[in-house]
Amino acid sequence: MIHVQDLQKHYTVSEKEAGFLGSLRAFVRPKTKVVKAVDGVSFDIAAGERVGFLGANGAGKTTTLKMLSGLLHPTGGSVQVAGFTPFQRKTDFLKKITLVMGQKQQLIWDLPAQDSFLVNQAIFEIGDLEFKATLKEFTEILELDGILKKQVRKLSLGERMKCELAAALLHRPKVLFLDEPTIGLDVNMQVRIREFIAEYNRRFEATVILTSHYMADVTALCERIIVVEKGQIVLDGGIDSLMQRAQNKIIKLEFSHLIPRAQLERYGTVQELDGLSAQILIPRAQASQVASRLLGELPIADVTIEDPPIESIIGEIMSEARVNQQNQRIDLEMMEAKP
Amino acid sequence: MNKHLKILKIFAGSSVSAQMEYRANFIVQMISSLVAFVGALLGLSVLFGDDAGLGGWSLLEAQVLVGVFLLLEGLTEVLVYPNVRKIAEMVRTGTMDFTLLKPIDSQFSVSSRNVNVFAFPNVLLGFGLMVYALIKLGNVSWTGILLSIPMLLSALTIIYCICFILITTAFWFVKVENIIELFWGFFRAGQFPITAFPAGGARILFTYIVPIAFITTVPAQALIGKISLESVLASLGIASVLFVASRLFWKFALKSYTSASS
Ligand SMILES: Nc1ncnc2c1ncn2[C@@H]1O[C@H](COP(=O)(O)OP(=O)(O)O)[C@@H](O)[C@H]1O
Ligand SMILES: [Mg+2]
Repeated sequence: MIHVQDLQKHYTVSEKEAGFLGSLRAFVRPKTKVVKAVDGVSFDIAAGERVGFLGANGAGKTTTLKMLSGLLHPTGGSVQVAGFTPFQRKTDFLKKITLVMGQKQQLIWDLPAQDSFLVNQAIFEIGDLEFKATLKEFTEILELDGILKKQVRKLSLGERMKCELAAALLHRPKVLFLDEPTIGLDVNMQVRIREFIAEYNRRFEATVILTSHYMADVTALCERIIVVEKGQIVLDGGIDSLMQRAQNKIIKLEFSHLIPRAQLERYGTVQELDGLSAQILIPRAQASQVASRLLGELPIADVTIEDPPIESIIGEIMSEARVNQQNQRIDLEMMEAKP
Repeated sequence: MNKHLKILKIFAGSSVSAQMEYRANFIVQMISSLVAFVGALLGLSVLFGDDAGLGGWSLLEAQVLVGVFLLLEGLTEVLVYPNVRKIAEMVRTGTMDFTLLKPIDSQFSVSSRNVNVFAFPNVLLGFGLMVYALIKLGNVSWTGILLSIPMLLSALTIIYCICFILITTAFWFVKVENIIELFWGFFRAGQFPITAFPAGGARILFTYIVPIAFITTVPAQALIGKISLESVLASLGIASVLFVASRLFWKFALKSYTSASS
């Protein structure tokens, strides 16, 4: 469905020094700098997949989505989405995709969302019957009753986002690009939006690509995760395979009587010690060995060995990747420094 | 075509209902329209104090011209200005994204999304003055009246294209609304017949560089039956060339759209 090969986007930005003289200097002799927002990413996504893009602010997630949806011309590399080259923006392509951005809105501010829907109906040439059916379905899943007739400016952020989603999906696109769709929403509303996206993916067998810097969005919704860092992919894999990469296991213990913390710290990193229950972090390879030692040496009532939550695994991998990237950069700089 | 007509209707409908949210604007706009109208007429009566004529135009003929000027100014305020103003805003805030992702010609979409109904009284005032002066002039030529329709359309196209090309520079220079003010400044020169300007500099400027002559003088000449074939052809030619240029420039500008970051 989506095929991306060595995709790059470099922005040229002008640098301005502070103050009047700085501005003047910048005007006379503009200094420009190239920002490598996306710096050679490759991946393939099959129809119906739900993929999450994770990464810190400025990692290049939005830029990647903008190239996938055809808003930006890539600086290099190639993109194919549903057999089209996105930036040509052919009508048939645009009818198959949608882009939702948590920080930009397409709804007409002074009118009820319903009016914006009618505009989209005309532009996408959606038949009346299909339009009514889709709207009914969305109203049901998103609980839009009563908010479609209120001016958009009078809606809460969460209500507005629900309407934005509905407006963006009225033409029943097959490929969804969602850029931080839950940003700024409370946890409750985040969950509702996630559920809707999952439901849409099921009903219409749509491909979903979602970016977020909330780990929970991605882990709840996506079966595959791509982590980007400074314009490059540092990790691409299914949630299941990520579990395998966890470096630690968590051992949860129940004691039959209280024990001092110091005694427990001999076995591993104590994450939690609360009365009779405790949780310690043990390197993966030694987990079962440590567990049996614990059983023999301490007054244990119950023990379980678990994988750490996916969030902390990804966090681990991301910080590891950051260190690696930095090392690589230092290597490069040292090579460049040599004559 | 059918699709585009339908979309025009929906755009107009939603734009009008959005403005109805701010009805108080209507009164303010009415007052400013009347002030502009009275100002234009007073200006004329000062210029024609002794009914001597101006650049070969009699007072009544010049009133037809002022009627054309006000009519086109009104149409620009109703149809052109609200759209071009939004374009700069859309580029600045990055909401142009949504326009580009719709399966519809983007220039058509950004140029037809808004109408400013509050400026409609200006159109009526201009039209009224034009008709009134024509009737007082007497012996109207029907060929002239017929010809004036394509000349007025051509004039409106020229205005649209100039405004559109100017605002398209927003893709490179983010704050450009002022550039439209510059055009308005030139446009005011259209209250006077082109022949009223001294031959040479100003007349060349307003004919060839900023084609004000084709915006007001030529349609007025058609109405009073004093138009030449060359003017008709030149008007249509300039409008077509500008229209093609506006499309090419827009396509070119879209290539450098970087979509304000979010
Ligand atoms: N329109 C733009 N012009 C110049 N630089 C940009 C533009 N958009 C993004 N950038 C830069 O590119 C990098 C990646 O940005 P972005 O793709 O928005 O990251 P993310 O969505 O992961 O937060 C950032 O350093 C950002 O400053
Ligand atoms: Mg982003």
